[in-house]
Amino acid sequence: MENNKHEHITSYKEHFSTWLALILLTFMTVFVSVFGADLRTLSVATAMLIATIKATAVAYYFMHLKYEPKIYKAMMAVVLALFAFFMIMITIDYLTR
Amino acid sequence: MTSETLPYTSYLKEKTGIMSWLFTLDHKRIGLMYLYGIVAFFLVGATLGLLMRFELLNPGKDLVDPHTYNQIFTLHGVIMIFLFIIPSIPAVFGNFFLPLLLGTDDVAFPKLNLLSFWLYVLGAFFALATLIFGDGPADTGWTFYAPYSVKTGTNVTMSVLAAFILGFSSILTGLNFIVTIHRLRTPKMGFNQMPLFAWSLYATSWIQLLATPVIGITLLMIVAERMFGIGLFDPSIGGDPILYQHMFWIYSHPAVYIMALPAMGIVSEILPTFSQRTIFGYKAIAYSSMAIAFIGYFVWGHHMFTSGMSGPAAYIFSILTFLVAIPTSIKVFNWVSTLYKGSIVIEVPLLFMLAFIFNFLIGGLTGLALGALAADVHLHDTYFVVGHFHYVMFGGTGFAFFGALHYWFPKMWGKMYNKTRAYIGFAILFVGFNILYFPMLILGIQGMPRRYYDYLPEFTFLNQVSTVGSWITVTGLIIIIVNLIVSGRNGKKATDNPWNGITLEWQTKSPPPLHNFDKMPTIPERGPYDYPNAKRG
Ligand code: HEM
Ligand SMILES: [Cu+2]
Repeated sequence: MENNKHEHITSYKEHFSTWLALILLTFMTVFVSVFGADLRTLSVATAMLIATIKATAVAYYFMHLKYEPKIYKAMMAVVLALFAFFMIMITIDYLTR
Repeated sequence: MTSETLPYTSYLKEKTGIMSWLFTLDHKRIGLMYLYGIVAFFLVGATLGLLMRFELLNPGKDLVDPHTYNQIFTLHGVIMIFLFIIPSIPAVFGNFFLPLLLGTDDVAFPKLNLLSFWLYVLGAFFALATLIFGDGPADTGWTFYAPYSVKTGTNVTMSVLAAFILGFSSILTGLNFIVTIHRLRTPKMGFNQMPLFAWSLYATSWIQLLATPVIGITLLMIVAERMFGIGLFDPSIGGDPILYQHMFWIYSHPAVYIMALPAMGIVSEILPTFSQRTIFGYKAIAYSSMAIAFIGYFVWGHHMFTSGMSGPAAYIFSILTFLVAIPTSIKVFNWVSTLYKGSIVIEVPLLFMLAFIFNFLIGGLTGLALGALAADVHLHDTYFVVGHFHYVMFGGTGFAFFGALHYWFPKMWGKMYNKTRAYIGFAILFVGFNILYFPMLILGIQGMPRRYYDYLPEFTFLNQVSTVGSWITVTGLIIIIVNLIVSGRNGKKATDNPWNGITLEWQTKSPPPLHNFDKMPTIPERGPYDYPNAKRG
């Protein structure tokens, strides 16, 4: 990494489609919270899921995670998995209480 | 091991004046400033502990009223956890020795390192400011459990902000060490040629980096709830207090490995040096540090068995908790095997390490008793817990901290301490420590609850034994600390390598020059613990 500071030129097309996807996902969040009232508890889960997808897209395309070595991707994956475990265990506690 | 007569300027003399310390970027000076701060707070915390033991000398009121007692144990806990034990080994010995052990001249981000020190100072200021501002220090216990922490009139907000700021200091230290270990190892030193203390710091740093933000946000939620009554945790306004406990322990269980892992790293450094023998199971020790750090994320629920968490969640956490015992015992067996057939030299640092193993064994085994679901229902919130965590934190990490201080003292100040006095101090501390805490384990099994200023008359005898133990403990501590201060001022000059160590810090002068090494250190060919005179076979 120290010497190979090659520039990554991302096409306008890629930037634009990522942006478009983010906007669409935002609409989806709003839609779910306004019209998806009968989803009940699941509406929180849906909002979290959409937010996670958006964050991943930002990290991957805008923050250039896609160009990074595998080790960084693995580190990201471990952190996400840990976070998922936290959520799962708390949810198990709630659902079986 | 260059000639000692050559003139050179040590990092202590390179620049002088108070500013050259307060704004230094030298990892060694930052380590020393941390040391002075941390030891000072340790003494404040110990004084508060002593006060509590005085109060518990007899049933009924001896010294302070119940409310003050609650504030004392909270402040004691906050100081000991956030200002002493979490920063202790990483901030002092990690800062001072990580670059030396890796054969480099500083940490990766010296300015962040200084910032992290100043955040420590700021956090300490907040913690102490509760004594002056608001309605006095928090009375919630160091765990700040909701909903009480949301409702009490004491200055919880400021105590919590102190912990928040100290968390940032901890995150920056962790980040710094991770990058240092990845980027700044001396050429030819692969991960598997790193000293084991560096491995343990690496595992610790990942916990600091990933777990600390969770407590940060949780503490801010407490502040928000106090100020705006949001209803996150307080059931009377729709919150869930168990959610607080989940979030608190998602950090605070991994945090106990922030306390324990660096201490284990210290043991893995000191044992080989004083047995002049290759460490037994290098990779097993190194990787078990990573395993402990990893598994540590999955067990937080064992603090909540009696909190109203669901049954199935409790079983899962109880089973997962037992997994941590595996990598921990791997370490203990490897340490004992390292001593086996070594050429053992009994010196004070080694004694501290043997005491560590003894105390940590008691701490660890009582921990398993607490991790067992059925046993914990009886033992939870009794003095058994107080005994258990003092055995782990004080008997384990505390002893490792003082052992490391004796081991590296000659390197840090270029002076040798008075060995007889150090030995006497150690012996008194070890005996006093066990008299102080062992009775607590028995009291707990008998059912004496923790966090009370009073107890039933049948508990009197063991409480008095424990209080006498606290006096012996403090005597030992005073002898140790006074001896080190006096020796630092006018002890005999130390050689560059008084213990025949072969890790890289012993290849430079005592005390080291500003940039650590005058010439590239040579790394031992067959791993960091390949003692040249060791018996083989
Ligand atoms: C002179 C040494 C010490 C003495 C006499 C002492 C004494 C005590 C006592 C009696 C309690 C129980 C209070 C109660 O439940 O009513 C306590 C709690 C505690 N101690 Fe110590 N202690 C000492 C050193 C330490 C050290 C070195 C650490 C950590 C590194 C530590 C961490 C704690 C913590 C976290 C608590 C729990 C506070 C709470 O309940 O919120 N103590 N200590
Ligand atoms: Cu725990």
